[in-house]
Amino acid sequence: MTEQTIRTMQELIDGCMGDAAPYCQAACPMHTDVRGYVNLIGEGRFGEAIALIREKLFLPATLGRICAHPCEDSCKRGEVGAPMAIAALKRFVADNYDDPAKWDTAIESEKPESVAIIGSGPAGAQAAFDLRRKGYQVTIIDRLPVVGGMLRVGIPAYRLPRDIIELEYSLLKAIGVQFRMNTHVGTDVTMEELAESYNAVIVAVGAHTGIMPPVPGHDANGVFDAVTLLRDVSMTERFDALGSRVLVVGGGNVAIDAARSVRRLDDRVVHLACLECNAGCMPAHDWEVDEALDEGVSMHQGWGIVSINTDRMNAVESVTLKRCISVFDAAGRFAPVYDDGERKTIAVDSVVFAIGQKVDGRGLDSLPRTARGHIAVDEVTLQIPGTSIFAAGDATGHSVIAVEAMAEGRKAARSVYRMFRNENMREDRDFERAYKTALETEISQNYVRTPRVTSRLRRASERVGDFAEVDLGIEDAQALAEGGRCLSCECRNCVKECLMLERYTDTCPKDLFQKILNGEEIDPVIPYSCNMCSMCTVLCPKNYRMQDVFMEMRKDLVAQTGGKSPMKGHKAIYMHQKLGFSKLFNITRAASPARVAPKKETVR
Amino acid sequence: MSATTRVFFPGCSLPSYNPELVEKTLAFLKERLPGTGSILKCCGKPTKALGQMDLFQERYADVQQEIDRLEADEIIVACQSCYLTMKACSPNQKVTSLWTLMPEIGLPEGMTGIGADSDITFALHDSCPTRDESDIHDGVRWIMRELGYEIEELGHSRGLTRCCGFGGMVLPANPELAREIMERRAQEAKSDYMVTYCAACRMSMAIGGKKALHLLDLVFGGPWTSESTYPEVGANPIHAWGNRYRAKKSIKKILTTV
Ligand SMILES: Cc1cc2nc3c(=O)[nH]c(=O)nc-3n(C[C@H](O)[C@H](O)[C@H](O)COP(=O)(O)OP(=O)(O)OC[C@H]3O[C@@H](n4cnc5c(N)ncnc54)[C@H](O)[C@@H]3O)c2cc1C
Ligand code: SF4
Ligand code: SF4
Repeated sequence: MTEQTIRTMQELIDGCMGDAAPYCQAACPMHTDVRGYVNLIGEGRFGEAIALIREKLFLPATLGRICAHPCEDSCKRGEVGAPMAIAALKRFVADNYDDPAKWDTAIESEKPESVAIIGSGPAGAQAAFDLRRKGYQVTIIDRLPVVGGMLRVGIPAYRLPRDIIELEYSLLKAIGVQFRMNTHVGTDVTMEELAESYNAVIVAVGAHTGIMPPVPGHDANGVFDAVTLLRDVSMTERFDALGSRVLVVGGGNVAIDAARSVRRLDDRVVHLACLECNAGCMPAHDWEVDEALDEGVSMHQGWGIVSINTDRMNAVESVTLKRCISVFDAAGRFAPVYDDGERKTIAVDSVVFAIGQKVDGRGLDSLPRTARGHIAVDEVTLQIPGTSIFAAGDATGHSVIAVEAMAEGRKAARSVYRMFRNENMREDRDFERAYKTALETEISQNYVRTPRVTSRLRRASERVGDFAEVDLGIEDAQALAEGGRCLSCECRNCVKECLMLERYTDTCPKDLFQKILNGEEIDPVIPYSCNMCSMCTVLCPKNYRMQDVFMEMRKDLVAQTGGKSPMKGHKAIYMHQKLGFSKLFNITRAASPARVAPKKETVR
Repeated sequence: MSATTRVFFPGCSLPSYNPELVEKTLAFLKERLPGTGSILKCCGKPTKALGQMDLFQERYADVQQEIDRLEADEIIVACQSCYLTMKACSPNQKVTSLWTLMPEIGLPEGMTGIGADSDITFALHDSCPTRDESDIHDGVRWIMRELGYEIEELGHSRGLTRCCGFGGMVLPANPELAREIMERRAQEAKSDYMVTYCAACRMSMAIGGKKALHLLDLVFGGPWTSESTYPEVGANPIHAWGNRYRAKKSIKKILTTV
């Protein structure tokens, strides 16, 4: 084979997009096979869909409700109409077709090494799940009496019912993960003790301290942070210190969760102030803002806080706000600009700050920290250098949403696994987080812009009366229609067109050419099955010339078989060609009357 | 004394299919374009397709020698493989497709509108080697339109046409796959009738289950209707070589009668 052909093949192997992940899957930090299960749902194969989801995710009903779904932001369907309702579909099959009796509880053979995991949030839970599956002795330690971390004490019950967390987390117990609840690392047991008694420790303590801004009056009676409020409300459905007129400060989903939770605590008046001037700019999702408005939260968009005004007892009396003109500077940095001339004062007796969370480091003094207070780890391995301690999830600042926290937990578990087995900890780790897929597909604007499914919500007037779930999910028929909207993003243009490539490749030409370059024996019938029609090249976004490679292979085979094709069937062609050039069947005639040059003797 | 300025090169598949069409085409060219000679020979494409490159070079040299003997500066071809092969290997000659030539020199006498009253529609199969030659696609459609026949455009046509299944000598190497490809292509057509402008494609579409004709069948015959008798799948080898021999005799006949 010529250098040129080898180069052609290598180029194709490097650049072919035939096995590139679809946009949704690459954007998912856990790399869930979205295309796979969404299409199964579209075909009504609901049971198979939930089984496929469970290959990657053990919290499908949970994530189906609260996942911030980066997949949907990347979904190609968004270019023609709205993106796929991926999370809603996941929830649909998890709610209706998941059977705990069928959950896979198998683990690999028991191993002696033990791992302590601090924190039962999504990061800790995923790390525990993965390591226990491998047979290690895993204990989760959490200071709360309940599992789930921020899923349980941050996200309100009306978005994520607690029995769902309990049920899905029960798989951890079923495979043999141990739990030590109500145990605060730092007081009940120290980091040092854990490092002593376990072969590895994974710190997944999240970010549980609400940030308070240094505005005048921030230390008045009646000022709270959202994290504390939501935790107490989650545990007790009460927060008695709160007054009857409340201002929540912040524009993210934590602020919305706090405001809507407060609306559910008796009949309180709730205001929400944020710097962003409209819902589109707020970090919270539009639908969250809409649902909060429906529930009677008064929005003050485009306002920053000047002061919290207090009475003589240092109790909150009102809050003064000023107009915010812009939030970010030209370079995209947070640098709010205000119009001091435009102010207003709202009479409230309580203020709840929801402007960010940081790591609660009490008891973790021995661990290195970054300037922003996150636990400092090696970016690739998540290890604290020189120790058998790892950190994952929101505590490291590498995640801010649940599914990212899970991917970080998985990454830490992989590092621990490799450490136990003395394997290289850094190799082959480029695609553990969300990444940009190499796939480039063009979609026809002729696609019918079928509407995206919307789920049924309880009536606002009814739902502010309790913490029961707001979103009632979707029905079978809706799921079928929604699944049918998926574009099944993939390349494989050539394989889908060419019957020969379909027959002789596993996924795309890449795998066949890799086999050839690896020196594997290739059936000669393969190159001789190419019609040389160049349809693959026409359809290939990269214009790869598969037929050139097959032609080169033919030449090689001919050279190996003494100048003949190795295919039996081609015997007929030799005859055909011989005769096709024989005098008997050849004639050359000039235009009559003729003038023909004499035949030369040596031409060849 | 009219010097030969061009040659008609019918190739192999057309003569094997129907020597009469070779004769009629040549007679027609002789009438419209005095100074047209002819060479009956293979262009060597099958040898090349098998990967026998040395042998191909040798064989094409034979072809070139004949062209040079006639001192022709233009080659008129009726086969798309010949078109590409000769274009690549005979840089000093202009290679012209019969299908772009006809719009210039017109249809044979009396053929215009012959198919206007036909009760059938021909699904048109474009050859894949010339998928990038839109002049050929246009020429073929011009011919069909002038003849008056209705055509069915296939989903895959012109630049996106599909191979008939014959390309690359797959039929003898992997007959079962080739048949599958032929059937798939033929099934794309809603009509039971297909027209191609390559005799190998014609055979493939016949194998694929259609009543298939070569464009020259329409240009020199007809009118074709649902009552007509359509040619079989393909002549057996003996018969095909008989046809080739007859084509040779036809050429001799046409180009000796002054
Ligand atoms: C109000 C709110 C709403 C959110 N909404 C969404 C949403 O809709 N979608 C989404 O994807 N993400 C959402 N998030 C973010 C998401 O919940 C977090 O990214 C995720 O839970 C982080 O997981 P983690 O495992 O790193 O930490 P956490 O979930 O915070 O878990 C940490 C655990 O560690 C325990 N712990 C802490 N310190 C100690 C100690 N010293 N000893 C023992 N145990 C300790 C804590 O009790 C806790 O259980 C929300 C967050 C909040 C606060
Ligand atoms: S259309 Fe389907 S495959 Fe494509 S990105 Fe969206 S969910 Fe994934
Ligand atoms: S068309 Fe085929 S060869 Fe080209 S990128 Fe897509 S899968 Fe790869």
